Amino acid sequence: MVLTCPVVMGRTTRPDGSSQLSRRAVLRAGTLLALGGAAAPLTGCGLFDRDDEPPEPDPHAPLVDESLRLAAGLRAAATADPDLAGRLVPLAEAHEAHATELARVIGTATPSGTAAPSASPSEAPPADRAATLTALRQAERAGRDTATQACAAASAERAALLGSIAAARATHLEALR
Amino acid sequence: MSRQIMNAPTSPEDALAGALTAEYAAIWAYGPIGVRLTGAERKAAVEAEAAHRSRRDGLVVQLSTGGGTVPPDRAGYALPFPVTDRASALRLAVEVEERTAAFWRAVLPASTGAERDRALAALVEYAVRATRWRRSAGITPLTVPFPGRPG
Repeated sequence: MVLTCPVVMGRTTRPDGSSQLSRRAVLRAGTLLALGGAAAPLTGCGLFDRDDEPPEPDPHAPLVDESLRLAAGLRAAATADPDLAGRLVPLAEAHEAHATELARVIGTATPSGTAAPSASPSEAPPADRAATLTALRQAERAGRDTATQACAAASAERAALLGSIAAARATHLEALR
Repeated sequence: MSRQIMNAPTSPEDALAGALTAEYAAIWAYGPIGVRLTGAERKAAVEAEAAHRSRRDGLVVQLSTGGGTVPPDRAGYALPFPVTDRASALRLAVEVEERTAAFWRAVLPASTGAERDRALAALVEYAVRATRWRRSAGITPLTVPFPGRPG
């Protein structure tokens, strides 16, 4: 019973990978958590809610945001270069599925609608398809490494999901060659 | 292990034994796959088979030195469909990599530290190889959202 409590799950240490995240990303992840905390019943965690401090952020909350950023980058590139859409959209959908599944196990609100392409770094159409694919590969490589570190340090309950996410990002790297 | 895990479905030994039986079957399957391929694809099949042999050998050593039961190899394995040409060989190669990836994924919750790192490396490598085989076979999309996840 206690192990299913998201507050307790949040105490696990996370590997150092947060330095790549922008302040905005961290804040947004925090917002997701706060929303989830308000929406989800926390009856099993009453013993731990003894002060007004917000719950400690889940160590994997930044991965939700990273998944959404990877998806947004792919969707923006697909919009800018429709010939690539057939290759890029399935990858974006995979990242969105990861975000949904991670949010479910963390206990936050499902982040539907937060993957708007406006979060992409560049609005202008890419001048060079090769440069676009190179940038997308770099993002997938960094994401693969983040997920690999997270899997190594994760609880047994989350290890398989994080392993699949690391593997998926590695396959995206291959698919973008 | 410092932390009690509730409802752990599989012991580490069972998960590793499962991975070993998957590696046996993968090595066997690359026989009929390899003879239907030529050139770079043949070479890729040889490399894939070598990777599965290497993991098999590591598992046999690990399970036997750990005092666990080492499941035996079999004389043959039932293929999910007949391999009669290049196309069916490539489809089977995709399936072999996906299936072995799933067994290594199952090792992840049952392991920690270096053992989990090895299991993840296997999951990632086989998932990537499945993607390469899909590209060779002209199968799209090239990827699945959750490599190794059952269902």
